[in-house]
Amino acid sequence: MGAKGLAKNEELDKLLQDSFGVTDIPADAPAIVDPARHYELAEQLKSLGYRMYVSVVATHYLAQPAGKTGPETPEHYEVATLLRKTGPGAPVAAWRCKVEIGGALASLVPLFAGADWQEREQYDLVGVRFEGHPDLRRLMMPEDWEGHPLRKDYAIDTACTPWR
Amino acid sequence: MEASVETSAKKAAKKLEKTSAGSLFLPGAVAPIERGDPYLDVDEYDPEADLMVLNLGPQHPSTHGVFRVKLYLDGELIVKAVPYAGYLHRGVEKLCEKLAFTQITPIVDKNDYVSPMMNEQAINMAFEALLGAEVPRRARYIRTLLAELQRVASHLLWLGTFALDLGGALGGGSTLFLHCFRERELILDLFEMLTGCRFHYNTHTIGGNRHDIPEGWTARVNQALGVIGSRVDEYEELMTKNSIFVKRTRGVGVLDGELCLELGITGPLLRAAGVDYDMRRDAPYHAYDEIELRVQTETAGDCQARTLVRVREIRESIRIVSEMIDGVPEGPICGYKPIKIVLQERSAGGQAYAALESPRGELGTWVIGGGANKGTSPYRLKIRPPSLHASACLPYVLPGHTVSDAIVILGSLDPIMGEVDR
Repeated sequence: MGAKGLAKNEELDKLLQDSFGVTDIPADAPAIVDPARHYELAEQLKSLGYRMYVSVVATHYLAQPAGKTGPETPEHYEVATLLRKTGPGAPVAAWRCKVEIGGALASLVPLFAGADWQEREQYDLVGVRFEGHPDLRRLMMPEDWEGHPLRKDYAIDTACTPWR
Repeated sequence: MEASVETSAKKAAKKLEKTSAGSLFLPGAVAPIERGDPYLDVDEYDPEADLMVLNLGPQHPSTHGVFRVKLYLDGELIVKAVPYAGYLHRGVEKLCEKLAFTQITPIVDKNDYVSPMMNEQAINMAFEALLGAEVPRRARYIRTLLAELQRVASHLLWLGTFALDLGGALGGGSTLFLHCFRERELILDLFEMLTGCRFHYNTHTIGGNRHDIPEGWTARVNQALGVIGSRVDEYEELMTKNSIFVKRTRGVGVLDGELCLELGITGPLLRAAGVDYDMRRDAPYHAYDEIELRVQTETAGDCQARTLVRVREIRESIRIVSEMIDGVPEGPICGYKPIKIVLQERSAGGQAYAALESPRGELGTWVIGGGANKGTSPYRLKIRPPSLHASACLPYVLPGHTVSDAIVILGSLDPIMGEVDR
């Protein structure tokens, strides 16, 4: 169905089920897609008319032992991408990819010029790397900053020296 | 909830069929521009040319905050532009992960400090989607009114500062700037009467609003809008009938629709480039599905087109407020009691995205709930600022222009640095 607050996108669900082998589409979050086919999905959606690049959101998850909330999960990133069609209803196509620590997700810069800054921001703040990005530098933090502030193991009171 | 989304989408489809023939770009829209190369290797660019590096900002007044653009100049012409953001980065998203949902509203007020109402509404819309809170009809009306008043105030501020960017071209330096600020004060007075604050209101909460319309407010709104409406005509004449203004803006900083979509540029910039798209009509929220919105578009995509679109939007917003102000329905202004919100927050899971049309474009919030055992804060929150996407166009647009044009282009994008950096 996609995330809460977004209208149900049948076009995307059908594409995911038919061509991308996604069987489980959760009701309150975007579907999880194989990271190896991330770029391919964006390319197909662009040809379907999803030509506006809305956003990319990376989230860091710490390792979870097996317990009440589910089976044991290793530390990983989740990257959600949003594209929009500027037609009636302005439908949004959203999907997530799981990226392991040290891994990288294909960059969407060749398809959408706007992915440049957005992916730089997520790399800067969360630490996920985008493969094939032409200029993966920090966007918000100083170039010599250590660590990625929006990671869950980065304490909010980490000491820092005044910048320059 | 789902059914209402469905019907409003159908309504939007009908409206769109009337206005355009279903094509993405309006007839006569600007042709794709020759894009500058943001990854140009300056060492390989013409070894004969004596390139000069010029730092524009971070303290230059025309950067509307602290923003730095490194320009490589060949004579007077820009060859490459490298923008640097982050001078105002305050870590709002990290801070939000430590606060309860209801405590976040006053923090995000400071993001887009020219239109704080929009920040509050955008973030609370996402929380309402996540928690499943319904907003009463009266609160939706008040939100619509506040959003449109805020749009008028924001566009007025932009008009004044844009006139400053153009230098003394418009009736002697800061004339228009001060006049626009005078009119903006009228709107801040209205907000003060409603919320008690002139700037950072904290008037929205999950499920509705915190301040009801006070006695005599409606009359004050009508009075203020009458004054502004009559003066906007003067400002438009001052801008569009001044030959210096026309010479400095026509054909300068052209953005085509395709580049806008790729970069995620929305709002007046996109509409000035010939794309008939406005979230208030195409994906209605608040009470916009109960009013007919005339989307203002231009096809030239240059700085003059952006000015015209914004000035017309001021007038359109005034019309919407005047039509809606007398029809505000009776009823509660907040659907949820604070204690109930806390109970719901504890179990909020899943992910939500909600967006609205701020004066600068699509202002969205992606929020991930903490789930059963993560307390009352969001696990991750991402704000999608329209200004960040707008300023990302600089490396593509600036090459080929002169430095004086760069100031005009940057001003016409209306970037708010508090929102770019967050």
